[in-house]
Amino acid sequence: MTSRTARRGARILAGVVSVALAGVLSGCGSSSGSGGTQTVRFVWWGNQDRADATTKAVALFEKKNPGIRVQTEFSGYAAYVQKLTTQVAGGAAPDLIQLDRPTFGEYQHRHVLADLSRYTGSTLRVDKIPANLLAGGKADGKQYAVPAGQTTQMLVYDKDLFDKAGVRVPENGWTWEQFAKDMQKVGAATGVAGTTDFGWAVDWFDSWLHGRGKQLYTADGKLGFTAADLEQFWNTTAALRTKKGVSAPEATTKMDGSTQNSALVLKQAASEMNYDSNLTSYLSSYKGTLKTAPLPGDDAAHSGMAALPPVYFGVAQHSAHKDAAVKLLDFLVNDPEAGAVLGATRGVPANSEVRAQVCGAATGDDKAVCDYEQRVQQRMGPADTWQWPSGSSAVKTDFQQVYDDVIFGRTSVSAGAERVVENAQQALEQ
Amino acid sequence: MSVQATVRPAAGVRRLRSVRSVLWHVAVTVVVLVLLYPVIWLVSTSFKPADEVLSRLALLPEHATGDNYRQVFGGVAGYSIWQYLGNSLAVSAGAVAGNVLSCSLAAYAFGRLHFRGRGPLFGFMISTIMLPQHVVLIPQYIIFHKLGLVNSFWPLILPKFLATDAFFVFLMVQFVRGLPRELDETATVDGCGPFRTFWYVILPLLRPAVITTSIFTFIWTWNDFFTQLIYLNDPSKFTLPLALQIFVDQSSQSAYGPMFAMSVLALVPIGLFFLAFQRFLVEGVSTSGLKG
Amino acid sequence: MANTALTRPARQVTARPAARSRSRRRGQGAAYVFLSPWIVGATVLTVGPMLASLYLSFTDYDLFDSPRWVGLDNYVRMFTEDDRYWHAVTATLEYVVVSVPLKLGLALAVAMLLNRGRRGTGLYRSAFYAPSLLGASVSVALVWRAMYGDGGVAGRVLGVFGIDVGSMVDQPRYALLTVIALAVWQFGAPMVIFLAGLKQVPKELYEAAALDGAGPVRRFVAVTLPMLSPVLLFNLVLETIHAFQSFTSAFIISSGRGGPSDSTLLYTLYLYQRGFTDFRMGYASAMAWVLLVVVGLITVLLFRGANRWVFYLGEGRR
Repeated sequence: MTSRTARRGARILAGVVSVALAGVLSGCGSSSGSGGTQTVRFVWWGNQDRADATTKAVALFEKKNPGIRVQTEFSGYAAYVQKLTTQVAGGAAPDLIQLDRPTFGEYQHRHVLADLSRYTGSTLRVDKIPANLLAGGKADGKQYAVPAGQTTQMLVYDKDLFDKAGVRVPENGWTWEQFAKDMQKVGAATGVAGTTDFGWAVDWFDSWLHGRGKQLYTADGKLGFTAADLEQFWNTTAALRTKKGVSAPEATTKMDGSTQNSALVLKQAASEMNYDSNLTSYLSSYKGTLKTAPLPGDDAAHSGMAALPPVYFGVAQHSAHKDAAVKLLDFLVNDPEAGAVLGATRGVPANSEVRAQVCGAATGDDKAVCDYEQRVQQRMGPADTWQWPSGSSAVKTDFQQVYDDVIFGRTSVSAGAERVVENAQQALEQ
Repeated sequence: MSVQATVRPAAGVRRLRSVRSVLWHVAVTVVVLVLLYPVIWLVSTSFKPADEVLSRLALLPEHATGDNYRQVFGGVAGYSIWQYLGNSLAVSAGAVAGNVLSCSLAAYAFGRLHFRGRGPLFGFMISTIMLPQHVVLIPQYIIFHKLGLVNSFWPLILPKFLATDAFFVFLMVQFVRGLPRELDETATVDGCGPFRTFWYVILPLLRPAVITTSIFTFIWTWNDFFTQLIYLNDPSKFTLPLALQIFVDQSSQSAYGPMFAMSVLALVPIGLFFLAFQRFLVEGVSTSGLKG
Repeated sequence: MANTALTRPARQVTARPAARSRSRRRGQGAAYVFLSPWIVGATVLTVGPMLASLYLSFTDYDLFDSPRWVGLDNYVRMFTEDDRYWHAVTATLEYVVVSVPLKLGLALAVAMLLNRGRRGTGLYRSAFYAPSLLGASVSVALVWRAMYGDGGVAGRVLGVFGIDVGSMVDQPRYALLTVIALAVWQFGAPMVIFLAGLKQVPKELYEAAALDGAGPVRRFVAVTLPMLSPVLLFNLVLETIHAFQSFTSAFIISSGRGGPSDSTLLYTLYLYQRGFTDFRMGYASAMAWVLLVVVGLITVLLFRGANRWVFYLGEGRR
């Protein structure tokens, strides 16, 4: 019995091992590098639509550049950040990297990104990208990343609920005072909170600050506001909370900027602040009619809105294929064919010509984004006062966590504001 | 069993017993259904159209549709679901082979052979069970990167061939200790050295523990999202849990319907696997010497 | 496990001393050969990285620049200045103290229920075990979020009993309960182990106890529990360790934030945030080591305490 079992066991084991080996051998061995071809690793985050569009654009690039092969990697946002961090730390950074404002600040500060200044104007064309947008990718006067699209802040609202309350978007947009009054009106008339409580996100605080001529961070990466500022901001929302002007705590705590956790989509608020790069998402998930409006601002000079990059593309400092990576970057941002394929998957195109082309041909939800951008064009300030330095992602998380404590009554507004400022200063010092 | 004349109980008693039996079955079935409700909900939601997925939380779809499944079978991120399935299978099978081989070897050494430092080394091995993953993540990644093994299945399988899953070494050691020493001695007298003793005598008797190890390793590796995330970059090498991630991204529009469909599909293999081997599982656990 | 070897007459192994020590030396050498994979794995993949992370815990390391030595700074800050650290500790302790006994209690109860040996037990056993199979996955956690969120089935069921909770995952009071519920839902794994243990309790003991006039409760306390105690210890230790390291469920249910208001901020989740989102890997390493030490201590305590209540059949009461 023993020897027979042993032999049978050995055979089974051998079988399993060979399956494993087959799998492993197919799974390893990446390497191209035949002849003179270079392989550029390009990573991004996003959903299926963005992935499909980007892969198509990459295929186009490869056709036009037979000496360059592009290896693509992508995932969801949370996984992306985790993985990118591990890769960079382990010395396996990709060549072309997608970044957002928080990650741009962190990586640029840690010298992970290459200075693209010597490419701009030659291989990397930036002349058609609006200066106020391009400024977002600069630090110390050098260009470290190029915006991959443009977005700006917006208020999206349910037309029927607003009509029911008799609220109309003012000709030149709301002032904060008027906005507060109108949101209370909506809450009272419809039973649904006027707007999603906007105290949760450091983004809307940034807009509010800009409306007062201040900003979240100064040019040298320090805090641009005081606890008193934050206290005032949070007291505004607190006053609205009691009168159904803004959403209830249970609805607010879920917010993270996505549509699946959105209080508006879940019908717990009648309007919401977000970036217009998410508009298509709202339009496809919402049951009802949605319209857009600019954010409240106290005067045209201080609109609290800006032309911001929803994402950037940057090249790794230690990349062995910088030239090829820059070529790919230039292609994705400037080439009209790429633009047609990529559409509005990363906000409206950064290159103004490509944008005109894409928006001209846009239909349905994409067109709504283009229209909105067109409408609020004048209100958009430059992106350079909106940069987020290293340490800002910690500040963002902390801001929301402290606000959670505030809305659930675990801490007072003034104590909370103090804590945010204290923690932020610590985070920025790192 | 006590020896008694088996007297058939009176008819009334029998009826009472069968009523109680039926009640027992009913009670257990109800508990099972409540327990499995989330799974049922998952399956049912995978048949809901996009606008119902988030908004309608009732169990059954209003307009059932196979669209989600169609989308999944149409390919995810440029590769078919069979590719991801194959990748998951390869990784899990490799892990099973590695664990069975290396853990049994180590267990034999710890459980049977005498060597200096056996006690302390054994204690140390047990304590590695308590190691949180994040403690060793970055250094391990750097090691694999230096070896050029990132973006392959090697970092997922190689550790298994090095007995890094202390849990299974422990399990097998318990089992080995339960085997009578006479077997070893007989084998030695017959002229077997430690190696032949291990291969021909001990290993076949470890079968229940081997089966337990195989099943648990397979399932745990199948579901191990984090490690696969870190070491697999190329979408063509993605395993099922990674491919699932693509559907849910908070910065852009998420597609929950296809994600649930794919979740269901991802659970089918391990479900089947479990159903096929579940009786070995209890056998394996029960004879692994847990009683001491 | 019938074995022909056992029916052979037991032969005296009268090896001469020299031969015995030679075989012992061969045994020792062989041991190292058998152990070599484990030794390589332990050194390169476990001890090495562990020591590296211990070193990192005394540094400020942001993953990109070289680590900068800061001595005990991380530990000091963790224990004295970091509010959220204590939120994480409280949440984790609450989680462990509630979920482990509940899970084991449920596992034992259901195992005893299934031990009657009626027809279809195998099927039921698989059904009860199924959640353990699925439990750690992302999809289930998402389903959980939906079930305990707005309009989810949990709220509606509780509403039937007159308890109005609203969305449980969005309130600091209840959010951790949903994470605990997910953990307890996976009681199938310890249950299977209990079942195996129950099957090994000799029936004679029950019969003897019944003959002595013991009722069902007394039989449970005097026969079942002591006989199950090794298995109970095994389950207790493993489940406690796993509970302290729990990550995925809290991560998904709270969308990575540990909210609302840090109520679901489990220790490993906070560790992950500090290390990967805030790029403070030195601090995260310090947290990891504290966890390791605490879990180690608790495990040792459990084993020590076990001397008093665990009973091994072959060894008699200690």
